[in-house]
Amino acid sequence: MIIDVNTYIGHWPFRKIRFNSAQTLFKHLENKGIDLACVSSINAIFYKDTQQGNIELSEEIKSYRNIFIPFAIINPSYAGWKKDFIYCIKELKMKGLELYPYYHDYKLTDDNCIELINLATEMNIPIHLPCAIENIRQKHWLDTNKNLSIEEVSQVITLCEKAKFIISNGSSHTIAEYLNKTSKIKNGNVFFDFARVEIFNNDLYKLIDIASIDNIVFGSVSPFQYIEPQLVKLQYLKIEKIDKIKGNNIKALLNI
Amino acid sequence: MDLFKNNTVINWHDHVWLNEKGELDESRLKLTVKAAYDTYMDLIVSSLPILGGNPTPDEFKHCNNIQYEATRRYPKMMKGMAFVNPGYVKESLDEIDRCINEFGFIGIKLYNQYHISNPVVRDVIEKCIKLDIPILEHAAKLNFEPELQPFTSNGEHFAKVAAMYPEGVFIHAHIGGGGDWQWTLKAIEKFPNIYLDISGSVCDEGIIEEATSYLGSKRLLFGTDMSFSSSIGKMLGANISYNDKVEILNNKKFERYLVKRGER
Repeated sequence: MIIDVNTYIGHWPFRKIRFNSAQTLFKHLENKGIDLACVSSINAIFYKDTQQGNIELSEEIKSYRNIFIPFAIINPSYAGWKKDFIYCIKELKMKGLELYPYYHDYKLTDDNCIELINLATEMNIPIHLPCAIENIRQKHWLDTNKNLSIEEVSQVITLCEKAKFIISNGSSHTIAEYLNKTSKIKNGNVFFDFARVEIFNNDLYKLIDIASIDNIVFGSVSPFQYIEPQLVKLQYLKIEKIDKIKGNNIKALLNI
Repeated sequence: MDLFKNNTVINWHDHVWLNEKGELDESRLKLTVKAAYDTYMDLIVSSLPILGGNPTPDEFKHCNNIQYEATRRYPKMMKGMAFVNPGYVKESLDEIDRCINEFGFIGIKLYNQYHISNPVVRDVIEKCIKLDIPILEHAAKLNFEPELQPFTSNGEHFAKVAAMYPEGVFIHAHIGGGGDWQWTLKAIEKFPNIYLDISGSVCDEGIIEEATSYLGSKRLLFGTDMSFSSSIGKMLGANISYNDKVEILNNKKFERYLVKRGER
């Protein structure tokens, strides 16, 4: 079983994306052998009121709840964030919180954001922090010119010790190395995907060594990226208990 | 991996590197060659460029000596490309001769020292045309400020030089190298002597389909540029015909460069 921690549905304003509806992404993932996928709304990133995107997502995946696990995108600097988050978890049955400080113009260490992360932790909800969506070097002139700040991640891990984080779509091996030096990640609360980590130069093995096999999850960034590069890594990864990486770790994290 | 296993695979873009002592980085070389064998590649075309500054003739000669050392270690798996800094015109021309004639290299690699359309590069281009060898040039259309590599060539630089030298063979490096690949495809579309390698860590869904649509598979070359899983995965995932994939993995137009010069 493969569980994908990082997929999206919705309209990307800067490039035409295929497989970006629930129906087409469902078929695409199924064709590639992905059994379950955490999904969030691209629209929620760009709407001023992210909640409109969360509700859209919830509606769209209604017929596909057997494959999609929705994550709520919340902007903690926008009015009503607390009510919206609770609604997403309790009423829309979303399983994760996803944050985009580099699109919504706040810092992870801002008071509201810390409060949101602590609230999520109290509700046993993990916090997904994608490092980016597309590679910043090809960015549209209206797109953000920032990626996730790893310094802020380090600070927020220290400030919110019990929170569980998933860091995806970044240079996970160097991020894990940095976080290992600056904040304790060995308590098992920080998970990493390997979407931008090469296996053939051993970087993926370095990541596993630093973060532990119990903290590696599969993320494809579909439909923005081909899924096959990640499947190639799984195919060539010579390691025991690979099922943890394929899906067992995220399954345990999400209690599914 | 049946696509790779059942077809000839020529990797037109990868590298060897120097270690901290300025010698051949053996461990990285071994990993690259092992990766190539493990993924059913038949040949790696490799170079050792200097990634910034204004390398002197002694520096680029040293790079080529190291590349030659690597190709001698793995003669069946690796062929070299000569790295030169075209600003040193005479030395570059002499070095190309040395690398082609003495080392058996099969092309040249230019990096970000000059835009490929800069007049200073013309002598080097004319030399390559005379020798009938391809030019692989580091390239990207970077939309991110500040521009850290101001003399990196983009598709428009290639277009200028391709129009000026229609008999030249120009390889625009790594469409997955992190720049605006859609812009690049449009910029080079009309110039049949600009080829494109598919290497790079960016594996955006659709990148191979669009490249094939704009240029055709006959103008595409497989490469990795150290990103094996991304480059292999792009080929596996692309929704193009099997024949197009086979063509990209071993571009027939480039087969002659792999044959010894005297036997062409």
